[in-house]
Amino acid sequence: MATETFLSGNGDRQQTLVAVFLRGGADGLSLVAPIEDDEYHKARPRIAVSKAQAVRLDGFFGLNPLLKEIGPIYQDGSMAILHCTGSEDDTRSHFEAQDLMEHGGLVAGGWLGRFLRFRPQAGRGALSAIAVGRELPECLRGAPSATVMQSIDEFSLGASGTLAGELERLYALESDALGGAARDTLDALRRIEKLRNTPYQPEHGAEYAKDGFAQGLKQVARLIKARVGLEAVSIDLGGWDSHFTQGTMMDPLMVKLSKGLAAFYRDLGRAMDHTTVVVMTEFGRRVRENASFGTDHGRGGAMFVIGGGVKGGRVLGRWPGLKGDVLEGPGDLPVLHNYRNVLAPILQRHSAGADLGQIFPKFKIEPVELYT
Amino acid sequence: MNISRRIFLQAGGSAALLAATGCEQVPRNLLFGFQSRPVRRGPFHPPVAESIDLIAHALNRLSFGARPGDYARINRLAPTSEEAFRAYVEEQLSPAKIDDSWCDYSLRRFTETLNQPAGDLFEYQEKFLLNEMMRESVLRAVLTERQLHEVMVQFWTDHFNIDPSKGDCKWLKAADDRTVIRAHALGKFPALLRASALSPAMLWYLDGRANRKQQPDDKPNENYARELMELHTLGVHGGYTQRDVMEVARCLTGWHVRSKEPFYKGKVEFKKHLHDNGTKEVLGQRIPAGLGEKDLDRVLDIVALHPSTARYLATKLCRRFIADEPPASAVTVVAEAFSNSQGDLRATLRALFGTPEFQVARGAKFKRPFHFIVSALRGADAETDADPKVIDYLLRMGHAPFGYPTPDGYPEEASPWMGTLLWRWNFAVALNDNKIKGARVNLKSLKQTLGGDDGLMAHFLGCRATAAEKQGYHGSGAGLALLLASPGFQRC
Repeated sequence: MATETFLSGNGDRQQTLVAVFLRGGADGLSLVAPIEDDEYHKARPRIAVSKAQAVRLDGFFGLNPLLKEIGPIYQDGSMAILHCTGSEDDTRSHFEAQDLMEHGGLVAGGWLGRFLRFRPQAGRGALSAIAVGRELPECLRGAPSATVMQSIDEFSLGASGTLAGELERLYALESDALGGAARDTLDALRRIEKLRNTPYQPEHGAEYAKDGFAQGLKQVARLIKARVGLEAVSIDLGGWDSHFTQGTMMDPLMVKLSKGLAAFYRDLGRAMDHTTVVVMTEFGRRVRENASFGTDHGRGGAMFVIGGGVKGGRVLGRWPGLKGDVLEGPGDLPVLHNYRNVLAPILQRHSAGADLGQIFPKFKIEPVELYT
Repeated sequence: MNISRRIFLQAGGSAALLAATGCEQVPRNLLFGFQSRPVRRGPFHPPVAESIDLIAHALNRLSFGARPGDYARINRLAPTSEEAFRAYVEEQLSPAKIDDSWCDYSLRRFTETLNQPAGDLFEYQEKFLLNEMMRESVLRAVLTERQLHEVMVQFWTDHFNIDPSKGDCKWLKAADDRTVIRAHALGKFPALLRASALSPAMLWYLDGRANRKQQPDDKPNENYARELMELHTLGVHGGYTQRDVMEVARCLTGWHVRSKEPFYKGKVEFKKHLHDNGTKEVLGQRIPAGLGEKDLDRVLDIVALHPSTARYLATKLCRRFIADEPPASAVTVVAEAFSNSQGDLRATLRALFGTPEFQVARGAKFKRPFHFIVSALRGADAETDADPKVIDYLLRMGHAPFGYPTPDGYPEEASPWMGTLLWRWNFAVALNDNKIKGARVNLKSLKQTLGGDDGLMAHFLGCRATAAEKQGYHGSGAGLALLLASPGFQRC
């Protein structure tokens, strides 16, 4: 057996990517509104974000007031926003669009799973990838290790402390790679054990709300700070399918999203330099509101990239306007930035040797300039 | 063995109840014949040698681990252990003759779904189907008496890997598992290869369905052609060129799978008008124009029994059964057996198990996570239904059945799996404490069956425990957990 080093638990600083998926097709035009575009207000006479209420970004776009907690991240220059993002899938079906986006094309395995598996020195730590929730999302399929969890209290060798000691003694007799792997594992276990036994105190005055999304991010923050070798996290916030009385559906979700991300950002502090959060959704929604104060399935949506050295404080890309002839199909914002072109530069920053051809097969990457 | 209909009619009362209520909650025992779990009564003689003996070695490599009593049973097959070993190999090479009714019975709830024709599988939600497939695969490995067959099923599942998350493979992989992998796992390689080439799931997975020539300047899709030679037959250094890939792709143009059409979903058809009917040349052999769908047979004839294929498959088999770095001498013997038998997998394996290299390579392979979990469940004689909680451990270790994204299949060698100890140990503790849903161990009766602590240790380790292992076993306060988590049990 070849000697290799395993990153799990040896205290190396890892780049961690946190992928937040807004399931259900989040309405980008409500998250980040083109408040200075008159067409926007004409298309949405009853549900548009008003100029007065919006959190001003760059003189043209405004954040939904319910996202105000993440306003300061943008002002700090640590959050970039992209409009007109999405995939080439134009079925407007949740399932098809999520499937394509998570797999990274009509291809097997998920983009995050392939990223973790196919690169030089692939992280093989036991805790290199985590999905917060109850089931493994498709984006992590094929990862060399993927753990579905809700709380770090789930990792433990149980009450019997003597077992770890006996294992340490037995594995110390192993001279090959197995002995080394065991030492790393025991190290990781000690770190987790220490975490479990210390009440978690978020830093810099961060306060996590009680909802599952914020609590999930809190667990992620703990693991990042404990340096257990965490490289990729998938966390969902679902329920954005706002066909009907959009406000009642989206408002509470926007509050959760905004408060959760803001607490996480504040808590991590400098650790955000090596942590990237990317927020994505399967598609945006129809430009024109429907008769029931909602919006229907559309195409272009919005993405957020936070931390990890992103050159933020910007809404990237060209705004096509909302005049009839630029809209697609039944009246949807076009997809001008394929989501892969946003993810690819992030993955390369996290692992310079990432094989983009393997992660996003049959797609010519034209990376969005997130870092310059 | 299709007894359900007869028993169903006999159980008239309950059948009427079922019909009247449409209720699915009628106890299945009333509808189907009832079988109870076989009891393993000991005490059995566990291994006593200081290192792994031939029979324990056979159980390590030809099966997914010894259950209580397996070692003793094989020893009883013949007076000497060499003869008993050979008898065990022969027994396992003829799986159809091994009674597997308890396994079949226990798997009914899965096979009723998964054994449906390919087209009918589309009726199911893909997540449900994948779940059933994963559970069936683990449970069969735990329960089947046809262990070598199951080991080879896993070997070919990796060799002809299909990740069901791509396109219609979500539904079609279940049929591939049954009609390609399981049907031919110990059969003839050329038949296995042909079944795979025409498997609707494979046509989806490697884009064979998109390989067509309609217009004069249509470029064939080379995906399957390349993997056919690189991964399925000749091996990457097997002597083919890019030109051969393109020529094979041309030969295979026109094969199509029905997809979302209302009828015949998943049906494979040859479409003449999408086939490139010109002359081709593959590995120096000329394939004349106008053969149509017969081009496929010509290509498979050229590659299936090619000397490079024999060598490549022999190397992979030796890596699986002998060592991560397979000894060249054994590879040569196995490749010859493959060629001489026209790709008969039983003859090939018989030769492999007969090599001195196989017989001496004991206890030095690192179990992959699937092997680890299944051997723990078998060793502890755990009562299990392969609950999703059990599968969870495999997900965490990156070795869930049908979870590998690319066509090369899960790696066989040790190094990619070295990061999985944390979850192995977690599993060991949870099984010891009976904290895993769907896996129950009765430690007291297990110990009795194996004749006490020393027997229990020898059973799991395949030989007498060392002083250090004994100390760990007694000192840990969780003996079974210690054994399952120990270095000795990670190897086979």
